[in-house]
Amino acid sequence: MPKPGITVEECLLVGWKAAKGDRVTAGQAVAEIETDKAGFDVEAPVDGVLLETFFGPGELIPVFTNIAAIGQPGENYDDLRPAATPQAAESVRAATPTAPAPAREAAAQATAPPAPAAEIAAPAQAAPVVLSPRARRFAQEHGFFPARVSGSGPQGRVLESDLEEIYYRSPRLSLLAQAMIDAGHAARGEGSGAGRMILSSDLATPPVRLAGIRETIARRMRESLAKSAQYTLHSSADATALLNLRKRLKASGSPALASININDLVMRCAVKTLTEVPELNAELIDGQLYRHERIHIGFACDTPRGLVVPIVRDSQDLSLEELAARIHLLTDQALNGALEPDDMTGGTFTVSNLGSLGIESFTPVINPPQVAVLGVDAIQLKPARRGDAVEFVDYIGLSLTCDHQVIDGAPGARFLKKLRENVENIECTI
Amino acid sequence: MHDLIVIGAGPGGYEAAAHAGQMGKRVAVVEKRRVGGACLNVGCIPTKTFLKASKLLFECRNAAKYGIRASEAQLDMPALLARKARIVGTLTRGVETLLNRSGVEAIAGHARLASRNTVNVDGRVLETKNILIATGSRPAVPPVPGIDSSRVLDSSSALELDHVPERLAIIGAGYIGLEFASFFAEAGSKVTVLEMLEETTAAGDAEISKRLTDAIRRSGVDLRFSAAVRRIDGNKIYAGDSELTADYILNATGRVPVVEDLGLDKVGVDYDRKGIRTSDRGKTNIPGVWACGDVTGRKLLAHAATREGIVAVNNMFGQPDRIRYRGIPAVIYTHPEVASVGYSEMELEALGIEYRKSTAPMGVAGRFLIEHEGGSGFVKALVGARYGNVLGVHAIGDGASEFIMAAAFMIETEMRVSDVRELVFPHPTIGEALKEAIVRAG
Repeated sequence: MPKPGITVEECLLVGWKAAKGDRVTAGQAVAEIETDKAGFDVEAPVDGVLLETFFGPGELIPVFTNIAAIGQPGENYDDLRPAATPQAAESVRAATPTAPAPAREAAAQATAPPAPAAEIAAPAQAAPVVLSPRARRFAQEHGFFPARVSGSGPQGRVLESDLEEIYYRSPRLSLLAQAMIDAGHAARGEGSGAGRMILSSDLATPPVRLAGIRETIARRMRESLAKSAQYTLHSSADATALLNLRKRLKASGSPALASININDLVMRCAVKTLTEVPELNAELIDGQLYRHERIHIGFACDTPRGLVVPIVRDSQDLSLEELAARIHLLTDQALNGALEPDDMTGGTFTVSNLGSLGIESFTPVINPPQVAVLGVDAIQLKPARRGDAVEFVDYIGLSLTCDHQVIDGAPGARFLKKLRENVENIECTI
Repeated sequence: MHDLIVIGAGPGGYEAAAHAGQMGKRVAVVEKRRVGGACLNVGCIPTKTFLKASKLLFECRNAAKYGIRASEAQLDMPALLARKARIVGTLTRGVETLLNRSGVEAIAGHARLASRNTVNVDGRVLETKNILIATGSRPAVPPVPGIDSSRVLDSSSALELDHVPERLAIIGAGYIGLEFASFFAEAGSKVTVLEMLEETTAAGDAEISKRLTDAIRRSGVDLRFSAAVRRIDGNKIYAGDSELTADYILNATGRVPVVEDLGLDKVGVDYDRKGIRTSDRGKTNIPGVWACGDVTGRKLLAHAATREGIVAVNNMFGQPDRIRYRGIPAVIYTHPEVASVGYSEMELEALGIEYRKSTAPMGVAGRFLIEHEGGSGFVKALVGARYGNVLGVHAIGDGASEFIMAAAFMIETEMRVSDVRELVFPHPTIGEALKEAIVRAG
């Protein structure tokens, strides 16, 4: 092994250019070696036959070590054999990088560029990545220690070209993007900068851990959909009477009556209907169905902290005025975060009104362990037959979700039918 | 069947054609005048040749300040025109060589779209998979009575004057008007600039606009704002309440995209008088029809046109690419120069982006004092409030055009003040003022 440079102590044997038994002439390249700076050929010093090679490709060999024997067939070359196979290779095992470039890796993983070398995991978990001297130098100079890299060199050794391939082909991060990734931002999709450089604008804001009320909502909604068999029925009721009543209440002069809104009226109808179709006023807990006589009706309330469902207890005993007053009080408390825990538990049925936001129909999610939830939709004009003529009439949409485990389609539909009648004949209902 | 026919051989078209040619595509570029477009023939290149002369004239006149005694310097207009022609000639031949070497067929004539993949060049019908419209822009003609007077020049004909007019009126204090004002004032004309608005918007930064206005006025230009031209009568101009007589009137009210007589309506290309609408990949609404440069009305800068053309070519041949304007610098080659890149303060405020700003006088760079005796200027840096990333750089002072690219790199790679601190600028160079301005923002 020649000493190709003043500071070179060992060289990597890349491969043999002649096979054992080949006749070689002086000056012919027989082996290819690599230092941390460059690649060289080792030339045969004499004419002869390549009798033996003492090292295989991929081994690191101290300089001035015999790497092969050239002579005449049958000649004894034992005294040319190096004393002991050097274990220098240990010194070049790339220690698991202590300071990897997480940002770079994040970038490499965030996109899927054509970087085949990076796609393939190192063959065995335990086996440390072995870098060639030049690869090691490249890694150190660029502060680049990819976690996964498959070497194309002998015995899977990682060559400088392998690292270069990943380094220059994988998308780069702008300095700002790198700092922001270190601060928790995530790289998403393709870089939009020069050469697909990932810029700050390509990053997503750091994820927010769900906390408090949001976590409760998330869990309950997940459980609701996972543990029940929900279906939704959509219908609509002629809202003419409803709107007329509202108009009259508004014009009544009494502040209490004037404050009663469409939602309050529909809530009143829902309570009335639950007394008529009590199957829906129930809870399903651990396979046991609890039917309730008292109607603790909840209503979904959008607050700055998220969705809460205040409960109006014993709503079946309340007049329209009382019900409306209670709903308004609870709504104010909900918006101010002043609800008592008791006001949010023990509901037997829920109403969710998205109609004021213009929603035409939706599939409300049951608030377990309840078995049904009523969605109130927007009021829309619909053509309706009146004798021989077609008129446009205001209709309010109603969306009912039931748990099919305990409420079949027909009872659900019956509830909606009753509710429709109660809405259309609101004067009688209240 | 061509892979691409480019209409217009300006900096958008010829570079795009050459790029496609180098990709091995069958490309033709159609030009009805001379290759090089406005930029090379009647724009960037000739005007900068003129401005070099006026700056040199200024230096000769101030030679004593540099320790040189010289006899009185005189502008030799015919010699300047000859130099301009020589430079334009050299560069035009360079473009022809580039097209030739890239295997691009150059066709002389007027091209019109006949369909989304047919181009008609004076009766000759060419089939193509893609069409890139790069017809550029021409001087705008405002609806002012008498604007068609023989005394009215535009930026093209002003470059053909074989003498320096005694009195020159310039309509418009945009970058074109100010560059001509800068040249003719130095050359000895009595220059009046009439601007409709209350200030020049050429610089994009209020402080720099003000400094530029002051400098232009100091050079002897009568720069009038809120002076809308109402009427031109021969060599008389009626602007605001005043009346003005000039030997020539230069109309420098801006440029408008060339969208007429191209067959755009026939093919249904979406455009209006502000230009052809394109995506940031260079696509028009018609598949296979692309556009770049001034005709899109996007940026009206030669170097932006070049990049837009290359983006379009990359996309048409399967290499996704997108134009980004944030890092494209703009320069006004007046005396003093103005150069800028990135966001302006106005834009940052409109977008609600929090920023810090800092300035450094050009004089912090020793080289500036050496090169520009008596000159002044400053560099303004705008950096993000949170991370200190460079958002915009605006500079006034001679030499700014040469270092603004460094600021563009910083913006393109989102460098922060802390990163810029690690960059080493050669000493002494004027660009040191850039580093100083940014470091001061930290």
